[in-house]
Amino acid sequence: MSQVLSNFVRALRAQDVRVSISESVDAGRVAELVGFEDRQVLKDALSQVLAKTDDEKFAFNECFDQFFAFDQFKPPKPASNENEAASEQSQEDEGQAGEEGEEQDGEGGESEGSGQPSDSGSAPGSGGSGSDDREGAAEGGEASPDRDLTALLESGDDVELQAQLAAAGREVGADRIRLFTQRGLFTRRIMEAMGLEGLNETISQEQRSGTSAGEARADNLRELREAFRLEVRDYVERQLELYTANAGRQLREEVLSKINISNVDRRDFKLMQALVRKMAKRLLALNSRRKKRSRRGQLDVRRTIRQNIEYDGLMFDIAWKQTKVDRPKVVAICDVSGSVAQYATFLLMFLYSLTEVLPKVRAFAFSNQLGEVTDLFADKKIEEAIAEALSVHGGGSTDYGRAFEDFEAIALDDIDHRTTVLVLGDARSNFGDPRADILDKIHDRARRVLWLNPEGKTLWNTGDSEMKRLSPHCDRAVVCSSLNDLERIVSDILRTAV
Amino acid sequence: MTAPRVEISDIQDGFAKEGYICNAHIATAIFLARNLEKPILVEGPPGVGKTELAKATSEFLNLELIRLQCYEGLDEAKALYEWKYGKQLLYTQVLKEKLGDLMEGAQGLAASMDRLHEFDDTFFSEEFLEPRALLKSLWSEKGSVLLIDEIDKSDDEFEAFLLELLSEYQITVPELGTIKAKSSPIVFLTSNNTREIGDALKRRCIHLYIPFPDADLETRIITARVPEVEEGLRKQLVSFVQNLRELELKKVPAVSETIDWARTLVLLHAKELDSDMVRNTLNVLLKFQDDIDNIDSDINALTTKARAAAE
Repeated sequence: MSQVLSNFVRALRAQDVRVSISESVDAGRVAELVGFEDRQVLKDALSQVLAKTDDEKFAFNECFDQFFAFDQFKPPKPASNENEAASEQSQEDEGQAGEEGEEQDGEGGESEGSGQPSDSGSAPGSGGSGSDDREGAAEGGEASPDRDLTALLESGDDVELQAQLAAAGREVGADRIRLFTQRGLFTRRIMEAMGLEGLNETISQEQRSGTSAGEARADNLRELREAFRLEVRDYVERQLELYTANAGRQLREEVLSKINISNVDRRDFKLMQALVRKMAKRLLALNSRRKKRSRRGQLDVRRTIRQNIEYDGLMFDIAWKQTKVDRPKVVAICDVSGSVAQYATFLLMFLYSLTEVLPKVRAFAFSNQLGEVTDLFADKKIEEAIAEALSVHGGGSTDYGRAFEDFEAIALDDIDHRTTVLVLGDARSNFGDPRADILDKIHDRARRVLWLNPEGKTLWNTGDSEMKRLSPHCDRAVVCSSLNDLERIVSDILRTAV
Repeated sequence: MTAPRVEISDIQDGFAKEGYICNAHIATAIFLARNLEKPILVEGPPGVGKTELAKATSEFLNLELIRLQCYEGLDEAKALYEWKYGKQLLYTQVLKEKLGDLMEGAQGLAASMDRLHEFDDTFFSEEFLEPRALLKSLWSEKGSVLLIDEIDKSDDEFEAFLLELLSEYQITVPELGTIKAKSSPIVFLTSNNTREIGDALKRRCIHLYIPFPDADLETRIITARVPEVEEGLRKQLVSFVQNLRELELKKVPAVSETIDWARTLVLLHAKELDSDMVRNTLNVLLKFQDDIDNIDSDINALTTKARAAAE
């Protein structure tokens, strides 16, 4: 597989597209088959073998446009078709046009797809004119490696320039760029690899020659060099964007999923929400299949008879009884008083992002009084619903005893052997009776009771924390302070559901 | 080798002749599938013509279409092959009477067993094999188009079972050994995304996502499918449906429903849309009473908008 393609695959992976080895081999075969001449065909074809979900297709489109943002895919500019006698003005225009075009690539994306097959035909033509120029410049008698860049710039042959730029980029390893601050370094390196030294020398030679023609040429070259430098920097920035754009975000997400939720900054909430959604999606994918569990040893007589009619009634294909694994019913009781509200927000967000596998979630919120908030979530968007739940039920001083009494009155009857009860709270009841006896009643009826405590274990039972009285009535009491903890708990609920 | 673009537009034209209008993206997938010999996994909302694509391909390439509809509980006996048990039993009955003749002259148990062994091989030969969809397509002499419809409805065991077929175009039958395809079929798998398809399967396929068509493409589809509709009405109804898809609906109307609606309107001799007509025929487009009730108040606005857009 060509270097270009493997770089492209690497760029895709940086954008969260999962590409397996076999898929990148496929990409190689596709590229061989359709060639690089036709941008749209190549894009369609590669997207079909590399990106295999909606999100990936979207990322693919962006990445493709950015990665293959070369000028040769654009309609030829009039300037490049003019002969070498073209005035300085037109060449300068061209340089600028190139710059502008480049910038559009970075932002625009799709618009480029329109530049279609016609331009591939024009590429060889302009390439030809470029080689003519080189001969002309050779008469000037410069050393061979330097002559290229000077001639190339003067010829205004953008196709060749881009090609050489890409080659030089590969040579100095521009795809290894990691940090924003490395831009200058890599720009310099690429320019040097393309023969900057020779260009500079030519400029100073012409300047020293004293003739007006020489000075004009030096001025012109200086301008071209400046335009070219911008172009190279653009190229380097694009590489940076391609290979590392997501690295920062990925790092951030990793950190956010580990740190204590109460320490998360308000401004990171958007990211946190996206993260919860992503985690929920992963859990969904894992659990979306309905599991069946066959109960070996119990013959399913009816199915066996039906299944064996075709064998003349001989019972040799035996069917066993199966039970479908039930989706768990979840009841979440959340403390939404000041200290714990954040955690409740994210727990609820998790549970309600999983409606496909957790169709029966009931949520109760309390600080001193308890109320059901399930309907809020049914009618509104998650964020709004959470905000409203917090404003209605949050705020007061926590009273676990009162909250459990309310819960007993509202919902205890609905708890059965399939229900998983989650209690989220720090168990700080302001020295009131936490009514552990009600929790015990809940425990008797429910399949299991999990207590999620955002405080670290060392803080349990200190001050007004009532964990020692409450935790005996739970199947498990766990610390739950970060998104990772939350994900683990929710996935545990899903997995062990029967 | 002709340029890929030419070949792709050939495919597009060929499909158009069969009445299947598609964009270059879809044609590219067919092109790749033929050249790389890989199956295509087609995803997209229901009713955008995923199944039609397979049908059109079979007509375009003049190959037999073999269809396998997936459902929960589909197993290899129904998808791949089955022994003709009835026939086997019948033959055993017949043999029973002839058993004496067969055993004549056999000396001792070992010799009799040897003779019997000759028969059990014949019992498990291709004579007694009932080929189902997958095996049929492997056996097909000049290749075939194999459509595995709604793969997401099958169990994951079946999905795993398909892997061998999809990557090697061969299948292993315990009694017969490995059966290779006589010529590689073109395989389409369709999915409505009711569940996530496994990574292993996705990796082996070309992935094609067909979204709802844009107004232009949809107009062309209607032209091809319901040529009786007059141009004015055609534009109006397409624009109506396109606007409808923007609304919050339980189930947005698909292309197949637009076609049905166009046919309905032709049947009613409609010349152009008016709100009464729309109201009376809306049940062709929308399949939930809730949806119909919800947009009832918008019908006038939508109709005017559609008429304006068509001019």
